Amino acid sequence: MISLRGVSLVYPNGTRALDAIDLEIAKGSFVFLVGHSGTGKSSLLRLLYREQVPTRGQVVVEGTRVDKLRRSKVSLLRRSVGVVFQDYKLLPDKTVWENVAFALQVTGARTKDVMRQVPRVLDLVGLAPKSRMFPSELSGGEQQRTAIARALVNNPKILLCDEPTGNLDPANTNEIMDLLHRINLKGTTVLIATHNALVVDRMRRRVIRLEDGKIVADEERGYYQSSAPTGIVDLPLVRSRSNGYGANPLLSE
Amino acid sequence: MDTGRIRFFLSEVRRNFTRTLGMQFTAIGTVAITIVLLGAFLFVRQTLGAIGDDAIKKIEISVFMRDGATGAQTQAVLAKLRADPRVRSVVFVPKSEGLRQLRERLRGQIDTSLLTANPLPDAFRVRVIDPGRVHEVASFARKQHDVANVAYAQDAVQKLLLVAGVLGRIGLGIVALLVFTAAIIISNTIRLTVFARRREIAIMQLVGASGFYIRMPFICEGFIDGVLGAALALALLALARSQLMPKLLVALPFLPLHQVDSGGLTFALELLGVGAAVGTVASWLSVGRYLRA
Repeated sequence: MISLRGVSLVYPNGTRALDAIDLEIAKGSFVFLVGHSGTGKSSLLRLLYREQVPTRGQVVVEGTRVDKLRRSKVSLLRRSVGVVFQDYKLLPDKTVWENVAFALQVTGARTKDVMRQVPRVLDLVGLAPKSRMFPSELSGGEQQRTAIARALVNNPKILLCDEPTGNLDPANTNEIMDLLHRINLKGTTVLIATHNALVVDRMRRRVIRLEDGKIVADEERGYYQSSAPTGIVDLPLVRSRSNGYGANPLLSE
Repeated sequence: MDTGRIRFFLSEVRRNFTRTLGMQFTAIGTVAITIVLLGAFLFVRQTLGAIGDDAIKKIEISVFMRDGATGAQTQAVLAKLRADPRVRSVVFVPKSEGLRQLRERLRGQIDTSLLTANPLPDAFRVRVIDPGRVHEVASFARKQHDVANVAYAQDAVQKLLLVAGVLGRIGLGIVALLVFTAAIIISNTIRLTVFARRREIAIMQLVGASGFYIRMPFICEGFIDGVLGAALALALLALARSQLMPKLLVALPFLPLHQVDSGGLTFALELLGVGAAVGTVASWLSVGRYLRA
């Protein structure tokens, strides 16, 4: 399903974001990717939807060598991989419905399919009643649910989430995690990069811990704070103030 | 036909337009100015061409026979000239007719009754098919037996051809420069639109829009800029023609303006086509560059 072999990523400025990563993620699994900011979580996700190309190594998604994918084929990959971000990336001048439909329309989908798929995903995320509202009229959680609906509307096999709850309060965070869990139960592989220890600890799923671009722990039914010795103490409170990611659920709970 | 798809596409194009409305006006205006000047240039060039054609058609080679040449010798030269494929027409002017025409021309200037004998030889007036070969035909005529002299407005012909050629090149250069300017401005407009819509573009790329879907609204935008600019220019040109042409015909009656077809549908469509092509090509070239950046 997802497989990385000997993957390294060095940015043009010399920063080594990922260092010799080997990783397998099975179809239909639910996986957390944890670690400090700047430790390579987002870089790893970006490799999977071909926003980045590895400096070395192989990236295979759904049987496709993503690292060798031609530019013209990238759009096809992106339709089978949904992506959700911390800042939602919704279009402010489009309604919920239009934001979700947009993802289908720009792939040249037929109107018939748009009319069938959009209500389906809006129903799934529970936003059908608010489909005519604009993002500015929604709560953060609702905006993120819109973004998730948009990521799912093409029926992707994989859903990548980069800090999906980073801007959300605990109640909304739980809602979103429940939603992601339900999506996973329907067979979609879900990969979540997060710093939210509470979320990780509550779910007890596979946890992959990155440090300085390397995998330092990989546990089934793991915790945010790995039981394996890592040598580095995680300090989410301090980090949440300095990295500007906004409210940290640990602070408000 | 999937009307929903078309509606979506059109709304995307409309969004492109309204996002950078000021710049669209600039682009349309630039195309309009370019096309107006192109139209004016073509009009001037056609007029000059018509003047040139007129003058060139009137250029004659006068071939004068040796004094005392016999009728048979004259006939031989006439036959030679008539047989030449470069020659359009040959008119024989016997010496008596030549004198009559000379008297006509000099009437009131010189007392021609003082002429007691006819000093003129028999002559031919030769017109050629291709004005560029006047010189050739003249020297061919000069080589004929019993031909005393050949005269033609050699300088006038060469200067006319030279001026027409230079004007044509200068005009073409100006138009090329204008087209280039219009293309740059459209390209810049597209860049601003790409910038204004970078969020949409990022999301389109994220959700797997094909390159075609991402580019098409921008290419349409350039096409519309070009067509609207050209349409505006055509309106201005039509106005200028209806207002100025009657005055020009009165003021400059010697110009062969009636020969210039400046109001034809083909001409209008050509200008519209130029506008559309400039807009489309400029946006086509720039959208790829700015999308990648």
